[in-house]
Amino acid sequence: MKKLLLSFFIICMTAGFAVAQSKVPAVDKSPMDMSYYPAGYPVLKIGDKVTEPLAARVIYSRPQKNGRNVFGELLEYGKVWRLGANEATEIEFYLPATINKVKIKKGKYTLYCIPYADKWTIILNKELDTWGSFRYDAKKDVVRMDVPVQKQTDITESFAMYFEKTTAGVGLNIAWDDVKVVLPVNF
Amino acid sequence: MKSIPYRFYALLLVCCMGVLSSCNNDTPSASNKTIPKDTSTPQPPYIPALMNDSGYTPVDRSPMDMAYFPVDYPTQRMNGSDTGSPLARIIYSRPQKNGRTIFGNTEKNPCQYGKEWRLGANEATEIEFFKTARIQNQKLPAGRYIIYCIPYPEKWVIVFNSELFTWGLHINPAKDIARFELPVAHTTNTIEVFTMEFLPATKGTNLLMAWDHSRTELPISF
Repeated sequence: MKKLLLSFFIICMTAGFAVAQSKVPAVDKSPMDMSYYPAGYPVLKIGDKVTEPLAARVIYSRPQKNGRNVFGELLEYGKVWRLGANEATEIEFYLPATINKVKIKKGKYTLYCIPYADKWTIILNKELDTWGSFRYDAKKDVVRMDVPVQKQTDITESFAMYFEKTTAGVGLNIAWDDVKVVLPVNF
Repeated sequence: MKSIPYRFYALLLVCCMGVLSSCNNDTPSASNKTIPKDTSTPQPPYIPALMNDSGYTPVDRSPMDMAYFPVDYPTQRMNGSDTGSPLARIIYSRPQKNGRTIFGNTEKNPCQYGKEWRLGANEATEIEFFKTARIQNQKLPAGRYIIYCIPYPEKWVIVFNSELFTWGLHINPAKDIARFELPVAHTTNTIEVFTMEFLPATKGTNLLMAWDHSRTELPISF
């Protein structure tokens, strides 16, 4: 049995080495994803079904819960979190937008969050093309907005962000584990 | 998306799963093993299927990825070692071989010779130049493009197109901007996951594109 395990381990190691040598990176543990408003805009566009102009897109990475308690444990309350994984989460507006009564120009921004037990502070920042929140600089903030935490009974395994139409405008839904928040955006 | 320890673990995971899959006939990938498949709620195709994760969009089968030039620009930016702005960025999705012969002449091949292929999956692959780029003596102004490929056995035609924010299956050739022919190298080892990467070159970068047993490089200078 020991021998079998050892040979299995050796196979794994050599296979790993062979893959490593081919120089092609593996798929990330927290794969990237993209959400548009209007939702599904690229498919609407190729089907000539666009009824609203392209307004926003978010590009983010999707870490998984993997049995962990996310909020308050994996992510400490009160500390800036990059709303995803790897590269800082990027939101782009293709139309002028309003968040928390602040007018936002068209263009790219990074998105961060400070989670608390009952609310999240969502932050829009000007520092682009960066990694995570390690170099987060509050001086580059464009707007902050506190949004209430909505506890969910169903668990969201993979961190998710997506836009939805709301009565007041557009909501950027952000969900992970047993928590969901909605950032209101107006165009 | 480079971080050595992560990559090491990811590789270890991939190869362990590869070994295991020979026993149970499963086709796992490093990214979706925790996502149960439940197709009980059919959805319109344009929303990436609200089918599990309690109604939130599940992780895609062909997950998205991003590559910068300079390589790992975001980590340089984070630790302050960047020198100026980035030069290029690509956003693409990463389908997997899963035992198929990717390039060929039949309907069974995901990429047919002579037919347009979106160089990825899902949304059209997007490349952004932050500075004027030069490819095969042609200037491409700073900005965003989608790129797609027409593969042949010995060459790939790489096409830059201006129809942004589209899904990759419907290409509008009227918006083509430039075409570049590249020789294809055939590799002995199998590249399981479609990969695009900027490789450093003497005068800029070579954009590597590789899948199955084919790979090519598009030289770009700035």
